[in-house]
Amino acid sequence: MLEIIRIHNELLGTYGDRGNADVLAFRAKLAGIKARITDIAYPDELPSTGDIYLLGGAEDAAQALSLEAMKKKMALNKAVKKGAVVLAICAGFQIVGSTFISRDETVEVLGLLDVTTAPGTRRLVGDIAVASEFFAEPLTGFENHGGVTTLGSDATPFGRVIAGNGNGVGGVDGAVSGNVFGTYLHGPVLARNPEFADLLLARALGAKNLPASIEVNDELAQRYAKWRRSVIK
Amino acid sequence: MPDLRLLLGIAVAKTASAASKAVGNKGETLSGRILLKFQPDAIALLAAKKKIVLVSGTNGKTSTTKAVAGIVRQLGEVTTSGSGSNLSWGAANALMSRAPYAVLEIDELHLPSVIAQCDPAIVLLLNLTRDQLHRMHEVKRVADRWHVECAEAENTLFIGDIDDPYINYAMAEAHNVVRVSFGGRKHQDGAVCPRCGKYLVWVRYQYSCVCGLTNKITDRKFLKGNAAYRNATLANVVAEALGAPPIEFSQEELERSVTKNYGEKTAYIRLTKNPASWTEALAGEHKSDVILILNARQVDGIDTSWLWDVSFAALKDKNVIVCGERALDMAYRLHVQGIESVVVETFEQALPLTQSNEVSVLAAYTAFFGLVM
Repeated sequence: MLEIIRIHNELLGTYGDRGNADVLAFRAKLAGIKARITDIAYPDELPSTGDIYLLGGAEDAAQALSLEAMKKKMALNKAVKKGAVVLAICAGFQIVGSTFISRDETVEVLGLLDVTTAPGTRRLVGDIAVASEFFAEPLTGFENHGGVTTLGSDATPFGRVIAGNGNGVGGVDGAVSGNVFGTYLHGPVLARNPEFADLLLARALGAKNLPASIEVNDELAQRYAKWRRSVIK
Repeated sequence: MPDLRLLLGIAVAKTASAASKAVGNKGETLSGRILLKFQPDAIALLAAKKKIVLVSGTNGKTSTTKAVAGIVRQLGEVTTSGSGSNLSWGAANALMSRAPYAVLEIDELHLPSVIAQCDPAIVLLLNLTRDQLHRMHEVKRVADRWHVECAEAENTLFIGDIDDPYINYAMAEAHNVVRVSFGGRKHQDGAVCPRCGKYLVWVRYQYSCVCGLTNKITDRKFLKGNAAYRNATLANVVAEALGAPPIEFSQEELERSVTKNYGEKTAYIRLTKNPASWTEALAGEHKSDVILILNARQVDGIDTSWLWDVSFAALKDKNVIVCGERALDMAYRLHVQGIESVVVETFEQALPLTQSNEVSVLAAYTAFFGLVM
């Protein structure tokens, strides 16, 4: 059984990223893998026993609340040490970075990715396409953020930006370290790029030493992904 | 002394509008824009002689504005916004009339500047939820702007539905206010107090924050009901403040729905444009044939990610046909919820695929206007 943990959706759910959990569970089912979604709200204790953790985009105050709750017991960091997979989008990506600079203060964040986010000069809004070495085809999505994220020396970008802005500096989007993935792609990203969902499922199975080949034949998912790629390039 | 730039502006705007109408346009946006070019203070100058009511909010603006205009008409001649022209030039255009009353629908982002310019008697605030985030960016950003302007407008009476915490926050420092509650309801984007940023504590439908923001303290209390009922009630609270007798409205008048015949088939077409309005629409009754039309042009919101925040469970076991420019976004979202649909490009292709003669149609903003205009 894979446990998919959707973290603080009431806070980190402004841009539809809750769908990432739904797509993971759906693809797992099609692949014959048992999976369940656990929603963890802000007042709940975050377990460190999950297999896949999902964080989404948020408004500023909601992002600060979510971070404050996660810092208390550092359960996400404990889970990552055990091999858990993390997909963090937008504000979620900024939370799992190392430093977050707001207009008022500089905050140490969870430190799962060596990236620093600071306010940008303009909001980056629109369709985005990213070429990532993990996939044969580009990924597509929608970005909507005011932060600019700079990679530290230990960080690897998630992909190279083909259309849109991504991190807002260096022509790249997101960051990756082990099983922790950060990106600015909404959409939700796993709905528009099913191969990314399969990669996360395979990583989660691999972390449990289970056979990790995912075979899903979902024609509608492929058609949707292909169409978005043909539009955003 | 009459303002010459204003008079000249009105003359040119009316001529241009007539010319534009002659070639088949509605002419409202054009004439308002021209007027503001000639006299940037036109809204303030024209508003000075009128009693003005402004209506804003994410959902229900157009139908509630119509309702308020209908009520105020009992007191005297009313000028009102043309359908969908809710930006500042739409207001300028409507204010060119000689009517003593103006009831105007105003876009959320344009509201503060229109309030500042026209010093309205009443502003009715309906609700604030996620919509067109590519333009609004964040719900809180809109609420912050309203909050500042509500505190500034000393002469205006603000009437608002405080079951929505963003509306309550917007009016928190207003000088004259009627806080209306319908016994509370859930707000999909209401987890954080918009005033102080703390986690907002909800007990069923009531929220109370340590900073004092709550919907337990109200000026007017009404029974629970759907959005159409709430907006009709709010329109009548406006009427009361103006001294006009209340009017009863039918459900259809207040919910932006239109019934249209296509040969043997009757389509019940409803406007659906964001998570809140989809959720509201899906809670209603639906025929066994349902057509969903999704576009993602500017006024629809160019990002479709929000589809994943709507539960489409009500469509299980229906014959669902999906069309529009973003039909595939909708079809895949339904697919993951276990609802299979037929995908076609246009409404004209979708209609023959329905099995009965009564069809429910839920349409995005631009699609809705494409069908009903």
